[in-house]
Parts: sequence; C-alpha cells; structure tokens
Amino acid sequence: MRDFTLFIPEYIAVASAVAILTAELVWPKIRKDYLAYATAAGALGWLIAAIPYIGNTAGNFENLLLTDDFTTYFRILAAGIVMAIALLSAHYLQNRTTTAGEYYGLLLVGGTGMVLMAASRELLTAYISLELLSFSLYILVGYLKRDRLSNEASLKYILLGAFSSAMLLYGISLIYGVTGTTSYEGIAEALAARDGGTDAATVVGIMLIVAGVGFKVSAAPFHMWAPDAYQGAPLPITAFLSTASKAAGFALILRLFTGALVVDAVEWRAAIAVLAAITMTAGNLIAIQQTNLKRLVAYSSIGQVGYMLVAIAAIGYGDAATAQSASSALLLHIAGYTVSTLALFTALTAHYNRTGDDSISGLRGLAETQPFLALVITASLFSFAGLPFFAGFATKLLLFQASTTDGLLWLVGLGAANSFVSLYYYLMIMRQIYLFDPAEGQTRFRPTPLLGALAGLLLLGMLFIGIYPQPVFEATDHAASALFEVSASVLASGR
Amino acid sequence: MVPMENYLVLSGILFSLGVYGVLARRNAVLVLMSVELMLNAVSLNFVAFAAYLDPDKATGIIFAVFVIAVAAAEVGLALAIVIRLFRNRSTANVDEAATMRW
Repeated sequence: MRDFTLFIPEYIAVASAVAILTAELVWPKIRKDYLAYATAAGALGWLIAAIPYIGNTAGNFENLLLTDDFTTYFRILAAGIVMAIALLSAHYLQNRTTTAGEYYGLLLVGGTGMVLMAASRELLTAYISLELLSFSLYILVGYLKRDRLSNEASLKYILLGAFSSAMLLYGISLIYGVTGTTSYEGIAEALAARDGGTDAATVVGIMLIVAGVGFKVSAAPFHMWAPDAYQGAPLPITAFLSTASKAAGFALILRLFTGALVVDAVEWRAAIAVLAAITMTAGNLIAIQQTNLKRLVAYSSIGQVGYMLVAIAAIGYGDAATAQSASSALLLHIAGYTVSTLALFTALTAHYNRTGDDSISGLRGLAETQPFLALVITASLFSFAGLPFFAGFATKLLLFQASTTDGLLWLVGLGAANSFVSLYYYLMIMRQIYLFDPAEGQTRFRPTPLLGALAGLLLLGMLFIGIYPQPVFEATDHAASALFEVSASVLASGR
Repeated sequence: MVPMENYLVLSGILFSLGVYGVLARRNAVLVLMSVELMLNAVSLNFVAFAAYLDPDKATGIIFAVFVIAVAAAEVGLALAIVIRLFRNRSTANVDEAATMRW
C-alpha cells in the first residue's frame, strides 16, 4: 500500500523551500536574514514533525523507502544541521549576494536528499536521492557568483562529482546484471544464492560502487575535490559540506552494505580497510602543512572519514553482533562529529564576519579580542582530536572499541596513532589563538547575539555528548538495531 | 540474435573512452562530454541487461531513463558553472582554473 503519510516531515521541508523561493520572487526586496529565519523555522517544523516517528513500527513505502528508527535518526540530524546552517548564513550572506532564496531553498532540498538517502532500500532511489543532495551542493558551493574561488570550487566539484556518479552507476549496472534486481534484499538473496565462488562482474561492480561512494564521502585517494570545494565555498556551506554530505554518504553506505553487500563481505572488506588506512593517514599528514583554515578543516574531516570507514570495515570483518555495535558507534561518532563541526564553524563565521580572513594566522590573538569564540574553537578542536570531556573522546573511543575485531587490530592501532598526529596541527591553531598578540588594528569585539547563542548551545551539546553520552547512545542503538532488523534475514542466509 | 556480450564489450569500450577523455581533456566542456560518454555506457549496460536477463520487469530500462534525465540536468548545471567561470576568467580550461592547489 502506498502510505503517503510516512513522509510528512519531508513535505514540510520541501514546502518551506518552495515558500522561501516564492517569497523572494514576490518581494524581491525582502531582507535576506528574514529568509534565513524562515528556513530555520521550516527546519524546526521538520524536526518537530519527525519526533512522533521515533520508535514507531517501520513504515515501508513500496519496498523503495523505509521509515524506521534509522531514517528518523538522520531526519533529526538533517533538520538540526539545516537549522544551524541557516542561522549561520543569516549575517554572512547579507552583504555578499543580492538573491538568497535559492540558497536557503536548496539547503532544505539538500537536507531532504540526505534523509531519502538514509531511507532508500533500492539502488535507483538511493542514486536519485544522492543526486538530489549533490546537485544542491554543486550550486551552493558556487553560490558566490562573482568570486573566482567559488567558481573554481564548484567547477571542480561538479566535474569530479559527475565522474564519480558515472563510476557508481557503472558499478550498479554490473550488480544489476549479476543479480537481476536493484532492491537491496533481492541483491542479498541473489548474492547468497550463488553456489560459492565469486565472479569478476560482482567484484568489479562492488569496487566501482566503493569508489563512487568513496568520492562522495571524500575518502582518499578520491578526496581531491574536497579541499578545493571547501576553500572556495561560502563559509556556512563549507560547514554543510563537512556535516550533511558526510553523514548522508555514510547513511547510504550503512544501508547498502548491511542490507545488500554484507553477504559478499569477503569481496570488499579488505578494500574498505585499506581505504580507511589511506584516508586517515593522508588526511592527517597533508593537514599539517595547510595555511588556510578551510583547507585544514577539509583535510581534518578527511581524517575523520578514515575513522568512520574503520566501522564499515568492521561490519565486513566481524560477526553480526560486532557489525551492529560498530554501526551504532559509527552513528554516535557522526553525531559527535556533526556537533563539533557546527560549533567550530559557528565560531569561525563570527570571526570571519568581523575580519574577513580565513587563514590560520588570521586567528592570531583571538583569545584577547574574543575569548568566548577562542574557547569554542579550542573545545571543538579538542573534540576532533579526541580529548576527554568533549564529544570526540567518547564517540571515538566507542567507535574504535566496537570496531576491534580479528583482522582489524592494525587498523584500530593506526587510527589511535593518527589521533596523535591530528593533535599536532590542532595545537598549532591554538598556538595562534592563545600565544600571539592580535594583529595590528584588531580590537575587542562581540559576536552577534545569534551566533554567540548558537556557539554556546553547540558547546554545551559537545560537552553533553562527551560527558554523558548515554541518551544519544541509546538513540543510535535503536537506529542500528532497526538497520539490522531489516537485514537479519539477510545475515542469517549469508553467513 | 546478437549475443549480450557484444553490448557489454561496446559499453566497456565507451566507458573506457569516457574515462580517458576525463583524464586527458583540458577543456571543461569536453570533460563534460566524456562524462556523458560514460553515462551512455551505463545506459547501454542497463538496457542490455534488462532485455536479456530481466525482460518482464524492465527495471533496467526504467533505470536507463532516469540516468538520461539526471545526465541532462547535470549538463545544464555544469554548463552554467562553466559560463560563470568563463565570465570571470575568460577561460574554460580546467588546468587554468587552478588557483587552489594542495
């Protein structure tokens, strides 16, 4: 039965997007920050509408989309991210563009794409949802039309994005050729039914899919677009790229790999483990020599993707229980990483609105000119590095703990070593903030009340997840068990 | 009847040509055309598989239609971005849009 009530939250999101676009068409002179507040209100409505779905029986839409706790988890995450990004953009965008309706509309549409990626149970639906998010991002990255860096960033992003989509699609077509279906369950059954052995088409297909989604979450060696897109994009969109697109990519990977490809884990787990090792090492080592703050965050987020991929490798190597706890820990890590990233970017946006300088040395003496922002930046960097009391410590610890399984110990060890490397360049930023005097002409300033409040709220969230992760952990546990309820039969038949 | 392998070989050749074009071309428009070539290879694959292996459900044919539609949207978007780049820099060459490295 087609149950159209399953997607009421997304209707609200898309309806607000259309309303915002229309509002600017009807009143072209409308103040742009009102559009930002309207977007945040729409996202808040989206979040509230998602709450009744928590713990509900999974709603199945024609075997294409599934609204279970896993989807609801990403719904709340997406709505929260869009709300924060809209508030971040309010002041930033005011002086930089003449039209902002498309910007805020696409933000909501991109968030909807993220939710649909988490909900998809079929390859065509998953692909279209992926492109819904990607297309929104291509436009948003290039939104500053007269800015040369913004143009360049979006050109590089769309060319490499289209290239990776083509690879992903070729992989999907091969898997379709082998299994004769595009639904995850059907693929799992067909792969399990093959009488032992393996064939070239499946291996090539899975590898192309891994490369395609690797591009989307910017895993090395497919990460080359990320630093440029991050640097050229408007600052709030950099935050959107590093939270929404990564979370969405991992939502799709989790659904696809636990629901369909887990039966054939032997064929991809080594590749994912190697990818994780290369990604975290490359990301953290290249980050050391960066001078631009946005590029540094790009490489540091590539390092974080490496840690997240460890959990995906654990799904391939471990038994069903390991797979489930690794998925749960991954969801928790995504939540902690998202909150830390948003906190960092809120503080950076407040700093950038004032100085217009996005180099690392531009942060000189921030502790003197704006101690609160300095504190928020320091806290989020500590959280990325995984120091105690901040979100990153608890989530990374649980992630590595859950992923520890036979054959993966080396990878977990490498992850711990990488955390130390990352601490080095995070401390270099703090050195600029705390040990140097402010640049000539920089005086004490206050962030706007909105950004200050948002930064404070996210700082509290970061401490909350770091000190008392229990409530979030329970939520991710439900989400992960919903994920595995669906694939329980698959696992039973495949292993 | 033409065996299915012929279609698959043709699509493999098309895909490889597309990959070569993406790597070797300097002009952004030509890179886009190469990506189109890759997507055509994908469509051909889907249609061939649907016709030979899955004739009653035709999932592959529907997939091919979607691939064509998404590809059209992608080209529209990418060309708009190339035009923006050309207005700002008077070039559509990928390697000249290289202010940012490493």
